Amino acid sequence: MKDYRHLIHVAATFVLVFVLFLTARSILKPSSYGKIGRYRAASVDEIKALPIKFAGRTAQKECAACHEKEYKDKASGRHKGLNCETCHGPAAAHVAGPASVKPPKPAEAEIVKFCLRCHAPSMAKPRKFPQVDPLKHNVGTACTACHTPHSPRL
Amino acid sequence: MRGLQRRQFLKISTAALFGSLMTKLAAPLAWAEDFYREPPWKRKKPYWGFAVDIDKCIGCAKCVEACKIENNVPKEPFYFRTWVERYVLRKNGAVEVVCPNGGMDGYPDIEDEGGVAKAFFVPKLCNGCEHSPCVQVCPVGATYKTEDGVVLIDKDYCIGCRYCIQACPYGTRYFNPVTQTADKCSMCYHRITKGLATACVEVCPTGARIFGDLSDPNSALTKFREDNKTESLKVHMGTEPKLVYKGFDKEIR
Amino acid sequence: MHAQLFESLSHALTQVQGYIYPNELELQWSILIVLYPYITGLVAGAFILASLERVFNVKAVKPTYRLALLTALAFLIVAPLPLNLHLGHPERAFQILFTPNPTSAMAMFGFVYLWYLMAVLLMEVWLDYRKEIVGWSKTEPWAPKRLFYKIVTFGVDNVSPRSLEIDDKLGKALTVIGLPSAVLLHGYVGFIFGSIKANPWWSTPLMPIIFLFSAMASGIAGVLLLYMILSAYRNKDTDMKCLDTIGKFFLTALVLAFSLEMLETIQQIYEAEEHFDILSLLVQGKLYFSVFFVQLLMGSLIPMFLLGLIQLTDLPEKVRKAFYAASATFCLIGIFAMRWNVVIGGQFFSKSLRGFTTYKLELVGREGLLSAVVVMILPFVILAALIYLLPPWENAEHAPPAKSSET
Repeated sequence: MKDYRHLIHVAATFVLVFVLFLTARSILKPSSYGKIGRYRAASVDEIKALPIKFAGRTAQKECAACHEKEYKDKASGRHKGLNCETCHGPAAAHVAGPASVKPPKPAEAEIVKFCLRCHAPSMAKPRKFPQVDPLKHNVGTACTACHTPHSPRL
Repeated sequence: MRGLQRRQFLKISTAALFGSLMTKLAAPLAWAEDFYREPPWKRKKPYWGFAVDIDKCIGCAKCVEACKIENNVPKEPFYFRTWVERYVLRKNGAVEVVCPNGGMDGYPDIEDEGGVAKAFFVPKLCNGCEHSPCVQVCPVGATYKTEDGVVLIDKDYCIGCRYCIQACPYGTRYFNPVTQTADKCSMCYHRITKGLATACVEVCPTGARIFGDLSDPNSALTKFREDNKTESLKVHMGTEPKLVYKGFDKEIR
Repeated sequence: MHAQLFESLSHALTQVQGYIYPNELELQWSILIVLYPYITGLVAGAFILASLERVFNVKAVKPTYRLALLTALAFLIVAPLPLNLHLGHPERAFQILFTPNPTSAMAMFGFVYLWYLMAVLLMEVWLDYRKEIVGWSKTEPWAPKRLFYKIVTFGVDNVSPRSLEIDDKLGKALTVIGLPSAVLLHGYVGFIFGSIKANPWWSTPLMPIIFLFSAMASGIAGVLLLYMILSAYRNKDTDMKCLDTIGKFFLTALVLAFSLEMLETIQQIYEAEEHFDILSLLVQGKLYFSVFFVQLLMGSLIPMFLLGLIQLTDLPEKVRKAFYAASATFCLIGIFAMRWNVVIGGQFFSKSLRGFTTYKLELVGREGLLSAVVVMILPFVILAALIYLLPPWENAEHAPPAKSSET
């Protein structure tokens, strides 16, 4: 037996290390890990709670509450499929507190560039999509000089 | 006496073994019926999917911009949760694909338009794989598929080994320099679980992006999938993406 | 911190060829990840060389037995370093041990590594040296060193013939277990790459085997070279029978590794799947020099030629030694190039199969050249310390302990 003593000491060390490992694991392993699947269940709720920046299409009725004219114009015009936020940017904060932050109107000075973002001509765009050649159509004039942005059809 | 019992036992057990073997060999005929695998959204409600109508996309890249705003994606042109590629297929067989800053910087003029056979835009995003290789390879379980089918990243648990970025066949993952973790399109999980649509769908002016609940027979997505022939990317890899495309071309990768 | 990254990425954007997915600009796995398979390969190779003597009774390589073990240990200790340096959150690295995802080959790392380190290598080194350690714990004049030996005896100073016999038997058993463990330690690295269907440069069932055999070649080359260098340093003659035997195994490993790589290459060329075009552009372009000149010519063909000459002709001792040293050096460089070609090469081309990105190896920074150099020098520093504490030369003649009972 005494000829095995050194091995017994080593084995005891291994057991000790293993126990330390299990202890560390019970302390450091997140409690929600494994509750649903092989991941930290708490993460799902953490992600659900992330902040919302865009109010969304369903919120457009709320835009109508204050911006009735623009809303009605859009609803009857060629841009009716667009979300207000497509042109005006994220508006969730504005809906929550209208005075605190105001989504910008696209700058008048840059309006041609802004409209061309969608309407510049390209072979890659669907043929039926309204495309305007900036080198031929009313060069130097702002789009809004003739087209109202919410109901652009003349 | 014992010998007789043993012989009987052996006879019965051999017969049983033989019988079960025979049923197993005959079983392939029964297996053929099992080839129909029920899609998970038959059993789980809701189950989120996505579709893209390539024939409607105008390459305005407002989706890319909205995604970056909604999800705090780094503004630099090296990190995208979604992007829009432009394909120009020429009559001589050449294929040109470009995607400057995800599409947000516009696209270069197409040269020699007469030589172009067809051209179109292809939005890309997380394919929402049912057999997700990124989930398979994550060593710690920091990326996972939720019960409603969305593949998410737990940025407080990710160790930043980047194995998942290597494993994604579609290039939808990137290494976020701020959080020092892997990152990707989360299907705007924080929005869809509140009844909103994803940010990209909200701002798309032409309805090229469609999001919805696969388990709902009346959702726009289900109707889209039933009304159109659709294709997914790299089907041969067996990842079973829940993202489908209408108007797919064989040159799209 | 980010500014430098963004600047280098902005520059990389101008160097892109063809089309890449926007997220593919930045290479995810850097030179540190090239070093990891290189290091574990050296560990596996050195250990297999050691096991030749212990398990397969190739007595001729006895003089390198202990050196091979210590080399394996030194490199194994450093192995997790490049991985942890590379992680985005190294402070979360322990999660791999506490919540491993069983479908992830990478999750195996923690357990395979700890098993191999503790249960195989450390135990085997300890069992082989125990008799001397007990002696040194009593005779060593310098107190701190003596304390070290005392601790390592685990408080037992019994070196009876029976206890040594037990050590020998256990050591042999551990070597037998150690062989598949070494295969697993390096094979799983090959599987990490080989199982990624998204990357056609990596995805092949042969990857673990190719990695393993090239690892064996590099490990054998490493020990061979170390043996020659350290013998010269100590002004001692190298045992030519030992060198010649190692040389034979070295050649065998090289031939096998080369054949497997060629098999993979020929098959890829013949089947010419969709990804073949971009991969051939890769090999003829960005990887041309490192594949053809460094990996193949320098790393495989020249060493095989030199070692083959030794087998087929009668060459004088001096020439043989020169050939062994040259072959080992070239092989070590070539196998590094092979790891580079796999890891970095696999990230050069886009998964759209339409273009290439670039890799700029920074000088400084966590994943820069300096870090890589430090990571590669560290094992030799540790090896020097191990040789100092556990000299592998004293007991070159490992006399079997006398049987406790002779009947």
